[in-house]
Amino acid sequence: MDEVKVMDEQKRNESLNRPVERDTTQYIVTQLGNEQYGIDIKYISNIVRMQKITRVPKVYGYIKGVINLRGEVIPTISLRLKMGLPEDEITKKTRIIILKLEQHESIGVLVDEVKEVVTLDDEHVERVSYDKDDKAKFLSGVGKYDGKLISLLDITAVLSDVVDA
Amino acid sequence: MDTSQYLEIFLDETKEHLQNLNTQIMELEQNPENMDTINEIFRAAHSLKGMAGTMGYKRMQNLTHDMENVFSEVRNGTFKVQPDMIDVLFKCLDALEEYLANIQQTTEEGTNDNDELIKILNDILKNNGEVKPSSDSPATEEKKAEQPAEAPSGDASGASREKWHEIKIGDTEKMLIEKANSEGLKVYGVSVYVEEACVLKAARAFLVFKALEKLGEIIVSSPTAQDIEDERFELSFSLIFISGNTRDEVIAAIKSVSEIEEALCEEYKTEAPAQAAAPEQEKAAEKASESKPAAAPSPKPAATSAASAKPASGGGNKPAAKPVVNRTVRVDIEKLDNLMNLVSELIIAKNSLVAATAAEGKDNNSAVNEQIEYLESVTTNLHESVMKVRMVPIESVVAKFPRMIRDLSKKLDKKMELYMTGEDTELDRTVVDEIGDPLMHMLRNSADHGLEPNDVRVANGKPEVGSIFLDAYQDGNNVVISVRDDGGGVNIEAVKNKAIERGTITPEQAENMTEKEVIDLLFLPSFSTAKKVSDVSGRGVGLDVVKSKIESLSGEVEVKNKFGEGSSWIIRLPLTLAIIQALMVVVGDEKYAIALGSIQTIEDVSPSDIKLVQAKEVIHIRGTVIPIIRLNKVLDIESTADESKNLTVIIVKKGDKQAGLVVDELIGQQEVVIKSMGKYIKVPKIISGATILGNGDVALILDANALI
Repeated sequence: MDEVKVMDEQKRNESLNRPVERDTTQYIVTQLGNEQYGIDIKYISNIVRMQKITRVPKVYGYIKGVINLRGEVIPTISLRLKMGLPEDEITKKTRIIILKLEQHESIGVLVDEVKEVVTLDDEHVERVSYDKDDKAKFLSGVGKYDGKLISLLDITAVLSDVVDA
Repeated sequence: MDTSQYLEIFLDETKEHLQNLNTQIMELEQNPENMDTINEIFRAAHSLKGMAGTMGYKRMQNLTHDMENVFSEVRNGTFKVQPDMIDVLFKCLDALEEYLANIQQTTEEGTNDNDELIKILNDILKNNGEVKPSSDSPATEEKKAEQPAEAPSGDASGASREKWHEIKIGDTEKMLIEKANSEGLKVYGVSVYVEEACVLKAARAFLVFKALEKLGEIIVSSPTAQDIEDERFELSFSLIFISGNTRDEVIAAIKSVSEIEEALCEEYKTEAPAQAAAPEQEKAAEKASESKPAAAPSPKPAATSAASAKPASGGGNKPAAKPVVNRTVRVDIEKLDNLMNLVSELIIAKNSLVAATAAEGKDNNSAVNEQIEYLESVTTNLHESVMKVRMVPIESVVAKFPRMIRDLSKKLDKKMELYMTGEDTELDRTVVDEIGDPLMHMLRNSADHGLEPNDVRVANGKPEVGSIFLDAYQDGNNVVISVRDDGGGVNIEAVKNKAIERGTITPEQAENMTEKEVIDLLFLPSFSTAKKVSDVSGRGVGLDVVKSKIESLSGEVEVKNKFGEGSSWIIRLPLTLAIIQALMVVVGDEKYAIALGSIQTIEDVSPSDIKLVQAKEVIHIRGTVIPIIRLNKVLDIESTADESKNLTVIIVKKGDKQAGLVVDELIGQQEVVIKSMGKYIKVPKIISGATILGNGDVALILDANALI
């Protein structure tokens, strides 16, 4: 269903023959607790339902384990724990977003819920001020959409931390 | 003609020939009289020359040409092989390897003419095998006379180009010729010259044969039909041919094939007068073979067409050393990898099917079960076959070592011999490709550090000549390669002192170190006990590289050392890297796989049998004390097993060390496909990978070696 949404957005753009303008970015909005986080759509290769995660012993707590994605073993991290939020509660709405950064392999990110796809103009994005606390260093900015505030994740920063760890 | 498409084949085959030459020349050094070896060398040099010529590598061709001339004379018994000559030949091989390396990198052979080597080779010819320069001798002229015949560009006299005169005919052929004459048919001698630039000589020759067979009957050819088919001929071949057609018709038929430079044809007389013009020696040889045609390999005639001057008929005359034509196909390793991946997927799918039917319960159809069992055996066989395809003997790697040891022996001025066994042991192609360098390091180590100088050996009551052994064999799911020497062994004190001097350890630490710990120091980066740096070893960039390389192949290195008596370095490598037989176990509520290869036995142990030694739990099994490891603790998970009940202990071994792994439950044996877990998470050492179970879940594979 979530995948369908993504498709719809792209299809609409195509059918309207509207080129995606340079200064807009599409984000997938995800829910973590009470907050909404946006992930740049270009990094997302897939969104799957919650499935069995095999725990890997002796690794950092935010690494939930590995999953089987069509025959491939993919490590999965908890975005909640990574952002310093309380432990995940698995519900029907829980999703694993499979990200793929250019040279790296795929990695799964656990989120509470995937809401929608939004297209934000650059003018609706505010860069975060430089009081980089733990959480803010993973953000590339805050987007305003439909009266809501969406924290935009700097996925490269989130994952580079994982790679280094 | 564009030959670039053949470059890869050329490189492969040239490497093979060079390796073959290396091996054979080593052999020749041991047995200078062995005709089989000399023939083999001649043949390899000859093929090299032909290949280099075809590809347009003139320098390479020139060098091999002169090498071939030397072998040719040796083969004819003009002179004998001498030690100095072997050295020269090895230098030639090195030069050829240099060309090859250049070609591989740039597709050009480079500009080194190796004039010196060519001169030495020519001097050998002049001086009947003596490796020193001197003035002309008859041999030179003989050689000069041969050369134009080989290079068809020269305007050699017709007689020497009409090579059919050199064809030896036996009784059968004579009978055929006489019969033909009596029937009024004509007998022709035919020599065909193929264009120098022709790439598929064998194909052209085949077409010529085809064309001629339409007109009459080929009774004998030189080289033999088989040799021609295998492209084992120069630019020309000759044959004797019976036909009712005229000479011009025959020539026209040959010329109808493209890329034929010249076709010579005359009526063949049984007692050809031209033969008188042939070199004396050849005539003698011919007489010998004619007088007793049934005798096995007749003495080889001296002319350049030497290889070709064998009677075609009479299978008994074929030389014993003729290499068997390999029925092989060269396949890109990527295609095999792809095939392997598909097999892996198939096995996972098969496992899912097994799991699905098992879940259905007892009332499922027995026919389905039967088919699943059949499927299981087919997939297992399929997997094994694909694995076997990927397996290559380590021979391709170790074959260069005797030569290396020989060179080292000269360089280090130590007498030593290398004894190899198990060259036919097979390993996965990817592993074999990687294993060469580590082995070379270890052999050099043995030669340089291991073996004492000859005088010290004699003083210690050992044989003067040092021995290095390279043994390879399969041990269960592993392949063991050991490098052993009968030298002085590792001097533990010397290593300790060196380590203290370098600040790696403190003198206090050194006091308490076990021998094994000291030896482990050798594997640290930049640690060498060689007193002086040589180009053999001593820069300390050896053993640490060896270790990391072996470990990257999921193997391990073990050292057995006896000071004064030698040391052995044992490499243990997994047979395959992709699919393993594993035992599935349950710990807590998680499933884990343990490679079957490392498991020795499974024991049922009562909790009361567990004893404490130095605060560590051990069990006593059949006379050995084995430490036990509670996997639930290692893996940070709650055990589900009842504390008071017997424990299931899996005894695993690593080298000669053992440990007992306590698990909660056994599931059974299963073929598992090893999957990488990616680089995002730094997986602890005890996990060697992951696998996908039949129900789609991921299970981790425990590395028993890392647990011990």
